[in-house]
Amino acid sequence: MSDGFVRAISAADIAPGGMKAVELDGQEIIVCNCGGRYYAVQRRCGHMNAPLDLGTLDGTYLTCPMHCAQFDVSSGEALSGPVPGHFGDEAVPARLGQYLQDIGMMMQHVRTESIRTYGTKVEGGWVQIALKSAQ
Amino acid sequence: MNIESRKKALRHFFAKVVEPMGFKFTPDADLVEFLLEQEVILEGKHGVPFCPCQPLRNERVHDMQIVCPCIPFHRQHFDAIKRCWCGLFVHKDVVDPDTLLQLSAKEVGLE
Repeated sequence: MSDGFVRAISAADIAPGGMKAVELDGQEIIVCNCGGRYYAVQRRCGHMNAPLDLGTLDGTYLTCPMHCAQFDVSSGEALSGPVPGHFGDEAVPARLGQYLQDIGMMMQHVRTESIRTYGTKVEGGWVQIALKSAQ
Repeated sequence: MNIESRKKALRHFFAKVVEPMGFKFTPDADLVEFLLEQEVILEGKHGVPFCPCQPLRNERVHDMQIVCPCIPFHRQHFDAIKRCWCGLFVHKDVVDPDTLLQLSAKEVGLE
C-alpha cells in the first residue's frame, strides 16, 4: 500500500484483551487488542526471545511466558526484568544444581531490552501495520 | 530498564491486587513514589519487592510475608489501622492519610 501500511489481521479476529502473532515481510509481530485500541510490537521478548504472544496481556502490559519480563505494548518500554525462579526447598541433584547455577550466572548478564513497536491503524475492518515506522 | 519503568509495572499490578481487598494507593503521591522506589531497589538486591519498612530475617517463611503488597498476611491488623504498615496502601474510604496512626498489632489489641 502506498502509505506504508500493510494488512495484518482482521480486527474481529482479536478479542479485547487478546493478541495474535502474524508474520509480515519476514518480521514476527504480535497485534494486541487493548480495549479496542490496537498495538503492534515485535513478537520476540526483549529478554531471551521467547514468543510474547504466549504470555499474558493486562491492559497494555504484556508479561512474557518464559521469565515474566514485562513490557508496555503502547511504547515498547521494558518495565520489568525476569523473575527469579524458586524450585522449592528440596535439594536438587548435584549435576542439575550445577547446571542451574551456571544458567543463573549467565542470565545475570542478559539485559532486558525494550521491544520494537509498529504504527497501526484500523481500516475496513483490518488492522494495518506500518512496517517501516518500526521504533 | 530503569527504576521508573519498574515502578510503573508495580503500580499497575499492585493496584489490581489490593483493590479487591478494599485498599488503594495512598493519596500522598510523594510517599507512593518514594516507597515504590525503595521497593525496586530492594527487588534489585533480593529479587523480590519487599516492604521497605519491615525487617528481613533471612527466614523464608517470615520474609515471604512482607513481600509487597503484604496485606493478606496482616489483614486484621491493617484493617484495624486502615493502612498497611508503611502506608503505601490505605482503605478506599481514606481521604487524608495523615490522620491514620501507625499502630502495631499489639497496640490495636491483636497480640
